[in-house]
Amino acid sequence: MSAGLDNLKHIVVLMMENRSFDHMLGSLMQKNPRINGLTGNESNPDTNGAAVKVQRNAQFQSQLDPDPDHHFPGVDLQIFGGQPPSQNRVANMQGFVKDYFSQTKDVGRSHNIMSYFDSEKDLPVLSTLATEYAVFNGWFSSIPGPTICNRAFAHYGTSFGQVGMDIFFILDNSIASIYERMVQAGHTAKIYYYDQPSSTMEIVNLLKNQPQIFATFDQFIADCSGNTLPEYTFIEPCYNDHPGADGGQILASDQHPDHNVREGERFIGNVYNAIRTNPTLWQSTALLVVYDEHGGIYDHVVPPSCTPDGFTASADATGTGAPFAFDRLGVRVPAILISPWVPRGTVVPGTESPNPQIFEHASIPGTVTNFFLAGDAKRTVREQRANSFLSLLTDQMRADDDCVVFGNLS
Amino acid sequence: MPPKVIQVPKTDPAAYNPNRPAGLLLRSQAQHMREALIKHAHEITTLLAIDMRSLKTEADISAFVHRATALLHTHAARPTKK
Repeated sequence: MSAGLDNLKHIVVLMMENRSFDHMLGSLMQKNPRINGLTGNESNPDTNGAAVKVQRNAQFQSQLDPDPDHHFPGVDLQIFGGQPPSQNRVANMQGFVKDYFSQTKDVGRSHNIMSYFDSEKDLPVLSTLATEYAVFNGWFSSIPGPTICNRAFAHYGTSFGQVGMDIFFILDNSIASIYERMVQAGHTAKIYYYDQPSSTMEIVNLLKNQPQIFATFDQFIADCSGNTLPEYTFIEPCYNDHPGADGGQILASDQHPDHNVREGERFIGNVYNAIRTNPTLWQSTALLVVYDEHGGIYDHVVPPSCTPDGFTASADATGTGAPFAFDRLGVRVPAILISPWVPRGTVVPGTESPNPQIFEHASIPGTVTNFFLAGDAKRTVREQRANSFLSLLTDQMRADDDCVVFGNLS
Repeated sequence: MPPKVIQVPKTDPAAYNPNRPAGLLLRSQAQHMREALIKHAHEITTLLAIDMRSLKTEADISAFVHRATALLHTHAARPTKK
């Protein structure tokens, strides 16, 4: 076991919303060729058959309105370019513009789905964390579909057969959430949602049945400064614009289109600073920043196959005319592991490597269960086989002045 | 030597738009909340239908109190002072 693991007492996961890897971090390949981003020559055909290249012109807001399609049939089109389901079809990532046309009904605006940020200039928080700590070339959403089923994988290691936004009921009571597993074993775990007007996306199964595991983001800040952070923490950003208790303005920080990306940057910076500025917490915490799914936005990496989780979604449920056996991952998303025990500039290889290390959201309960509970929990085969991200913690802790802090945050 | 400080730009105040039409994610969230409330209401109704005179033993009382407490002991999301 590394010294980093020996010192580890807290795992914190911040899950943002609906942005692809290439959209947020693809430009970093120009600075570091080991990051599997964009050359600038990737393209998709539009509905007129014209090749639309990726465009470094992403905007913080208003560019992806209406919200790009990210439901199962739409993502199937994005990944397979419109080939109908068959055993022989090959994923080509050529259907993003065509699919966005179905929302925009405007050929020119459908090109916006190929936009990406100049990460270093536009996203100082995310790009700094990606280059200062460990960025994953191969972290994929768990399902080629929307938020709720993907987030379920982060909590349960499975979506219990769901591929959509419907309320999911736990079909297999023997598989407990990672929070139940922790608490029942005498450990501590919490979900921090932003505030009550924003609340949580984990309502029917977790908020309804386990309210004791929830707290607000203000409490997270207090727990960081008071050294009372649980062993496992999951953070949800603010999901909507709403008035604050003092009459001020609370902006959505989840980065879900069409919410302002810069506000999400500030939220990520605040989470990082809360841990970073407490020396005791900093050296004993691993922070994972990850996105739930790609939100319909272009990424060039073909999602790989994966271990099925034992469930099958019917053809009616998928909407593609074919069932889905949870044997293929969704589109790639940004993921960054942060700790002083992670060497600067770590790039975790993905599918571009002969020795890929593939991650998805089942890696989250999988890693937490392996570390805190020695793997002792009933869980899906998929979660059992999911890679653990803690192997990135080394024996060498970086000096305090070697780890950045963010300024100008409230 | 102090650590390097990366300055983070402020968000454009014009970004605030609580009148933005709610997307599918937020509509789903509200639907899920409603579903949870229905279950909650059903549980409250069931508990209120219990005849108090039928609770005779400590076990009877503890079972009732257990269910009632689970309902009443919801998380109080009162912000903590920073």
